[in-house]
Amino acid sequence: MALLRLEGIGKRYRQGEVEVQALQDVDLTVAEGEFAALVGPSGSGKTTLLNIIGGLDAPSQGHVHLNNTELTALDEAALSDFRLFQLGFIFQAYNLVPVLSALENVELIMVLQGRPVAERRERAGYYLELVGLKGMMHRRPAALSGGQQQRVAVARALAAGPRLVLADEPTANLDSENAAALLDIMHRLSHEEKTTFIFSTHDPRVMDRAERIITLHDGSIAGDQRHQTHDLPA
Amino acid sequence: MTGQHSHMPASMLVRLAWRNLWRHRRRTVITLSSIAIGFGLAVVSIGIGDGSHNSMVRNAIRLGEGYLAVQPPGYQAAPANHKFLADGLSLRHKLVALHIAGTIEPRISLQVLASSATNSVGAGLEGMDPVSDPRVAMLKPKLVAGHWLTPGDHRGVLIGEGMARRLKVRVGGKVVLMAGTRGGDSQAQLGRVRGIFDSHVDELDDFLVLSDIDFARSFLVGEGADAAKQPVTRYSVFLDDPGSMGHWKGVIRNALAGEPVAVLDWQEMMPQLVQFIVIDDAGNYVFLSLIMIMVVFGILNTVLMSVLERTREFGLLRALGLSRRHLLALVLCESLLLSLLAVVIGWIVGGGAHWWIAIHGIDFSAMMGGNTSIAGTFMDPVIYTELSRARVVELTVAVFAVTLASGIYPALKAARVTPVAALRT
Repeated sequence: MALLRLEGIGKRYRQGEVEVQALQDVDLTVAEGEFAALVGPSGSGKTTLLNIIGGLDAPSQGHVHLNNTELTALDEAALSDFRLFQLGFIFQAYNLVPVLSALENVELIMVLQGRPVAERRERAGYYLELVGLKGMMHRRPAALSGGQQQRVAVARALAAGPRLVLADEPTANLDSENAAALLDIMHRLSHEEKTTFIFSTHDPRVMDRAERIITLHDGSIAGDQRHQTHDLPA
Repeated sequence: MTGQHSHMPASMLVRLAWRNLWRHRRRTVITLSSIAIGFGLAVVSIGIGDGSHNSMVRNAIRLGEGYLAVQPPGYQAAPANHKFLADGLSLRHKLVALHIAGTIEPRISLQVLASSATNSVGAGLEGMDPVSDPRVAMLKPKLVAGHWLTPGDHRGVLIGEGMARRLKVRVGGKVVLMAGTRGGDSQAQLGRVRGIFDSHVDELDDFLVLSDIDFARSFLVGEGADAAKQPVTRYSVFLDDPGSMGHWKGVIRNALAGEPVAVLDWQEMMPQLVQFIVIDDAGNYVFLSLIMIMVVFGILNTVLMSVLERTREFGLLRALGLSRRHLLALVLCESLLLSLLAVVIGWIVGGGAHWWIAIHGIDFSAMMGGNTSIAGTFMDPVIYTELSRARVVELTVAVFAVTLASGIYPALKAARVTPVAALRT
């Protein structure tokens, strides 16, 4: 069953005097539970496409259907609520609120969702344990390594129970060991939780783990293939 | 629509705001200190202003005509010796029957010519009870020669140091007091100087002659009054609680509704003093406004810097689902907490200073150079700060309003952040 359907997505923006066509006629369908990578060289439109899928940016043309909702028809407040309840985000860096502990960061979205304290405490604890940070729950981001911070971000994205997790270059700032560990966690949780993941990357390690690779080139889809995944060494 | 809406509990809002406030501890401490010191200065400055005004008012009331005066209609606009309350005795009985919380003093005010063997000067003769009148407490300590009047002294007068100099008289000397009558004749009484006072108020020292009320009453008898009815120019009412003035004014007016009298409060009796206080207060408000401007820029600087530094973080929060409304509330909450802290610290600093000065006072006599005369009254050279409850509320509300207002622009700026633009920074 299709969770995400993009129809004729185009995005133009002005950069000084020049008009840039960031995306052009992008049609894409992603099914529930997929672990898909958006790949392509810098400037190919990966981040722009992720922003449009996540309702952070509006397309110049086309429609985005996500979980039976047309995002392009929602106003800003409704989009904000949609992101809160349906989507999870993992960014490349500066992912966490620095004044909150790891546990509070994971709880934050659930607080905004209005979940009861006991439920959010339990879920936050569970996901932090799952990403291997059980003993570091009360540390603030500054007291965690880059890899640990990204794990907290993964726990935060999943604890809120999203239908789709969007990750923009999640391993770009990590060393090989941390990148491998993070991918392993995301892949495992994708299967265990049946959560759909779409991430942009040019990291071959990430591509190796993806079950589907969508290649963007100059703002258009240049390739879309199913991929046999390889387990990373433990 | 999703049908689900974001929800930000106040506890989370306050927790985030509080922690954000302490991200740059030094900056927050410096901002807080400047606001608190400014606020503390405003508290002390306004306390001193109110203290000096109240001291002047209290002195003016004791030296002058009390909180309330019952006197002939039209006397205030055009005082004249022939305007008096002929049946002072019955009026006094009516006033006593009201059980006013305070004292009622009979007064006779006359415009006279005071003459000695060498000179003559215009003077104001004030007949009073030489024991119970509040002027005793005010002027007796200011005697520089002789002694105070004794009850029943039908010749004794007290004069100021300025008048004594101009008349070239000393204690024991004779002064003839002459007053015109309504019919155009004149009448005179011989007074003997019992004492000389130096109040440092030129209007008193050069012009005032004090006597026992019976001495002054002899002039009213000369105007045709019946001495048995104890005529007076006015009854001055000195209230135990100045705050009850409005109440008692109404009560007295109602009780004397049929009488040919005017009931005035001290503000109506001394408009020049009221005007002076209004002008001086305006100066204090200018000072307060400057403090408020300092507070505005202090908070604006801190909150705006903190907002600009966190643009990316706001983008992240917006991406995660925090609404514009919540971001606005978060930044406003930071301003509110900052102002709360500033007001608390300001009250500790300013309130502490106020408490100390209210007890020990500040001696301004060196600055005043011996002359404490202002607007026809005098200010005590040692000033004690005074702050009314209304002032405390006024100052606190002013700082709160100003700090909240100064947080609006940064809050709007934060709320305008779009996730994509912010995350690109």
